[in-house]
Amino acid sequence: MRRVVVTGIGMITPLGMECESVWSALCAGKSGISKIEKFDVSELKSTIAGICHDFQALEFFDEREKLRLDRASQLALAAATVATRDAKLDDRELDSYDTGVILGTGYGGIESTEEGYGSYYGHGRRSAITVPKAMSNAAASNISIRFKSRGPNMTISTACSSGANAIGQAYHMIRFGIVERMITGGVDAPITPVVMDHWQFLRVLSTKNELPLQACKPFSANRDGFVLAEGTGIVILEALDRALERGAHIYGEIVGYASTADASHITLPDSEGESEAMRGALKDARLVPADIQYINAHGTATKFNDSSETKAIKQVFGERAYDIPVSSIKAALGHSMGASGAVEFIATILAIERNLMPPTINYEEPDPECDLDYVTGGARPLSTREGLRTALSNSFGFGGNNAVLVARQYAE
Amino acid sequence: MNEEAVAAIESKVKDIVVDVLRVNRSELNPSTHLMKDLGADSLDALDVALAVEKTFNIKIPDESLSSFLTIGDIVRGISQYESLSRAIISG
Repeated sequence: MRRVVVTGIGMITPLGMECESVWSALCAGKSGISKIEKFDVSELKSTIAGICHDFQALEFFDEREKLRLDRASQLALAAATVATRDAKLDDRELDSYDTGVILGTGYGGIESTEEGYGSYYGHGRRSAITVPKAMSNAAASNISIRFKSRGPNMTISTACSSGANAIGQAYHMIRFGIVERMITGGVDAPITPVVMDHWQFLRVLSTKNELPLQACKPFSANRDGFVLAEGTGIVILEALDRALERGAHIYGEIVGYASTADASHITLPDSEGESEAMRGALKDARLVPADIQYINAHGTATKFNDSSETKAIKQVFGERAYDIPVSSIKAALGHSMGASGAVEFIATILAIERNLMPPTINYEEPDPECDLDYVTGGARPLSTREGLRTALSNSFGFGGNNAVLVARQYAE
Repeated sequence: MNEEAVAAIESKVKDIVVDVLRVNRSELNPSTHLMKDLGADSLDALDVALAVEKTFNIKIPDESLSSFLTIGDIVRGISQYESLSRAIISG
């Protein structure tokens, strides 16, 4: 089986869209959460979100292209452009049946869907472009159209683990020799009036509206839920030999992936399914629990997720769980649904490459059910134990869809 | 239909084309072709037709779509439709 490495990164987040500046901000403990201003929030209990203010669509598209693309497609296409440039892939490598696209998304073109419903019920102009803008696979297809990447093109929708499952499937396709490289990751742009309205009834969103930067508190006893966000993370995965041939910069290696279903409840997490996903990813990587030096948690800051994830980590790592640093960057970026697993995989790859773990910000009060080392005192280096730096990235979605990726420091 | 009425229709058609295709109004004249001159594809042409239907409260039959591709043809189509419906009402 072939080795698979990460050679390009592109992301758009509430903390910016330059990889280096996002990384610095994450490690400095900054938050990108802000008040929603683009629509009326007077009926909402949660009025804050992770919004990508730095993204200017017209830097990537002309007026007509922008009109034809849902915001989700705009974000994914822009990040894919950044990632392919970062990987220094040329047109010949992109325009190929050996290059595919697999993206994860929970919502697809939801803003266009909403506009379509609105115009149907009498608000605004009905459009012939609604179907191609709104369909869930639009972002992946738009990437293939722009770069002429003609290999497998798929969209995975497993709620909050969509991005991680997309990267995992892309990894396996390269590993088993089906393609040479993949443009992969996740995207969601769900900050719309109707989506915000739907989520508030589940009572899982933070309502600390007056303090957006401190609202989301993963693993802290006084946590009151997550902050919905938009964003995208795109990586270029490549067969190691291809990356070496072209002298590409290698950020790190992806060495394991597993996905499981809780088969339990449509929204409540189950630590058994989660721990089995972690065990499966380790087995896929031919590693043992002792090889893991850092876990980038799903860490949503809901009561249920954080205690269940903590329990699952203890089920896998036993007493050693207390020695493994676990951090969540959702407090800083919000929960970007289908994008979150991809953005967090990028953070995990950067953590092992740069030997620095981004902190869990806003942690204030210990919770007896969440008693691991959550990297609460600022960024810090990974363990200095011998061996290649190796980390897990956890993603657990509604529906009981779990996906775990294993990232490892690259060495010949 | 008098010249003034046709000019009013043409002006509204140009508004639609500018809105849907994001082009400069000054580029548009009766012979301007949505696809050949303005780079529209079939989806754009459908969207223009939909907006024309809505604005003028008319129905463009599917088989007529292919003759709704220049500004002049669109204006002619709308004028004919309006004259016809007026004839039916007054007749």
